[in-house]
Amino acid sequence: MSEEKVDVAIVGAGVAGAILGARLAAAHKKVVILEHGPNWKSTDLVSSQIWSRRIKWGGARVEQSGKNPVGYNFNMGWGSGGSAIHHYAQWPRLHPEDFRSKTLFGRGVDWPISYEDLQPYYDRVQEQVGVSGDAAREPWRPPGAPYPLPAMKIYRQGEVLAAGFAKIGIRTAPMPMAILSQSYKGRPGCIYDGWCDAGCPIGALANPLITDLPAALASGAELRSSAVATRVLMSKDGRHAVGIEYFDASANKHAQYADVVILANNCVQGPRLLLNSATSTHPNGVANSSGTVGHYLLTHFASGLKGMFDVDMQNHMGTTAACLIGQDAYAKAEGSYTWFIPQAQKLTDLLGIANVDGTLFGAALHDFVRRAIKGLGSIIAIAEQTPRAENRVSLASTKDAYGYALARWNNSIDEREQKLFITMRAEGQRALKAAGATQIWAPESVGFQHIAGGLRMGTDPANSVCDSYGRCHDVPNLVLAGAGTFPTEGAVNPTFTVHALTQRTADHLLAHWGSYAA
Amino acid sequence: MPAVTGPDADPQRRSVLKGGSLLALLFSVHGLPVLLSPRAAHAQGVALQVLTNTQRATLEAIGEVMVPGARAAGLAEYVDHQLAAPFGECLLAARVLDIAPPLAAFYRAALANIDAAARQTFGGPFATLQGPDQIALVTTMTTKDPDGWHGAPAPFVFYLLRNDAIDVYYGTVEAYERLGVPYMPHLVPNKPW
Repeated sequence: MSEEKVDVAIVGAGVAGAILGARLAAAHKKVVILEHGPNWKSTDLVSSQIWSRRIKWGGARVEQSGKNPVGYNFNMGWGSGGSAIHHYAQWPRLHPEDFRSKTLFGRGVDWPISYEDLQPYYDRVQEQVGVSGDAAREPWRPPGAPYPLPAMKIYRQGEVLAAGFAKIGIRTAPMPMAILSQSYKGRPGCIYDGWCDAGCPIGALANPLITDLPAALASGAELRSSAVATRVLMSKDGRHAVGIEYFDASANKHAQYADVVILANNCVQGPRLLLNSATSTHPNGVANSSGTVGHYLLTHFASGLKGMFDVDMQNHMGTTAACLIGQDAYAKAEGSYTWFIPQAQKLTDLLGIANVDGTLFGAALHDFVRRAIKGLGSIIAIAEQTPRAENRVSLASTKDAYGYALARWNNSIDEREQKLFITMRAEGQRALKAAGATQIWAPESVGFQHIAGGLRMGTDPANSVCDSYGRCHDVPNLVLAGAGTFPTEGAVNPTFTVHALTQRTADHLLAHWGSYAA
Repeated sequence: MPAVTGPDADPQRRSVLKGGSLLALLFSVHGLPVLLSPRAAHAQGVALQVLTNTQRATLEAIGEVMVPGARAAGLAEYVDHQLAAPFGECLLAARVLDIAPPLAAFYRAALANIDAAARQTFGGPFATLQGPDQIALVTTMTTKDPDGWHGAPAPFVFYLLRNDAIDVYYGTVEAYERLGVPYMPHLVPNKPW
């Protein structure tokens, strides 16, 4: 493989890496994308919860600590497309208040940009990618262009559960989804078979295998799969990044030199890479003069509830994504949360029907599955975690196969968040009961979804890693992309915002290329 | 935005599969690679690559208690096949439960723990116990470590092995058909997993 110096070396072929690869290659930059896992094609994706584990993290182990460890491998993607291959494509926007949580609520930190800065990108992305929804029915929706596609279908589970929420005074509306409710720009509409989180092989769901990686490759970007990035290589004076050290599938070490280095790997591996890149000029890790690399990691804490109903909920139909959203509890002083009313439910895997009561076995399990496959209803609320320095990625004492320290992720929720979880759980129980559930499962343990932060943006180099374009304060040709740069996460799924932020970063890179590549 | 081209442009929609062939793995039969479901591999007596006969007996016995029918569905063949795979290609629930590789070491220890606990309380390895004793031990494992247990917590081992049994028993097209619900795969895979 050629290892000539290129214009841009990107680590990670997920959403952010694919977008930047596509935009920069289209602008005639020579781009190499290094992807830790395999290179998937849409036709590789098999409709099976068992197979879906192939697109979950399969690389270096992440050690866990803290009061509330989070399932890393389950949440993270593996291979080209990254986590977005298995993402549900629920695409609500952040709210304007999310960008000002310190000012408005005294929690966390304000973003260095406002919703108004990002709104044009949300609008642009939804038109490019194709988002289905009904803006007029979302009373909480921030300002923005209407969705380009009508809302997705709602099956019986959605109707039954929405009625329950309505009875306790909580409004719901069709979920905005990056899934095509009808054909759009040459892509087919969804067929509602409910295997979205095993990857959508027909291209109705927007993942990078459909949206940006083909464009990147068509414009000349090179994607190297099974390429494990281990260090950011720095100039002798420590002022610039000069490339990426990585190992190929045969464990041979390489260096890919580039004018601009972009880290678009995930929120845990990104900080790990920077911390493992320490040199004499960056003794605490590259881009870490603030000491904040790896800190302020975020996740959504969640309450997922199930109910048994005496009607056929049509669980085999629909999308993995929730068909309905409820945000009456958004932008509140006690913390934001969002209700999701899912639809398609499959039998196996951690979130499958057979795991609703994880202690059932024998004939009782079979009896439960027979009833639940048609009668089970599901709701989930996710809430915003306040950024705290102690929720962080650090380096473990254990090494990987190449001699580099593994990541250790410490995560805990605080007393306020625990109280909010209890509020959500109680509200969910009321909604299920009002909807007619004959039996309710409401776990007392907190669930977790989505990962953000760890490489937060800000205006002050003393307490942030990069600016709002992802450009590192310490290293001007090193750019961070993806959810890792989020200062706060709101109570919405991160992928739409990652798209919008990354398009903004691409605009800035191309408009100011000379200052990056100098 | 590029249009979808190539094989994705005209996907075969809602292909109907028969006989559970969606979960088909490449097993070695008499030294030759053969594409089989775990159920078919069990019926054909495919030799295991990683687990010993003792470990197989324990896994099948406890899997059958957790999910009746899991033994014939090929629980041991499925788990053994996947323990032989590189971690990045592994399909076991252990992967997404953040168990540190090598997974075979975890399974061997867990199965040994089950037998040790069975011996301490009931006087013999799990596979040799009477049905009520097997159920009693598994019931204990749902909430706490049985007497004589060491290593990973028993409720976690219970959860893991239960998921393996659920995978082979319920993760197939035929399981959905038995329950009267269509499986509805988007596409038929055209190569082994």
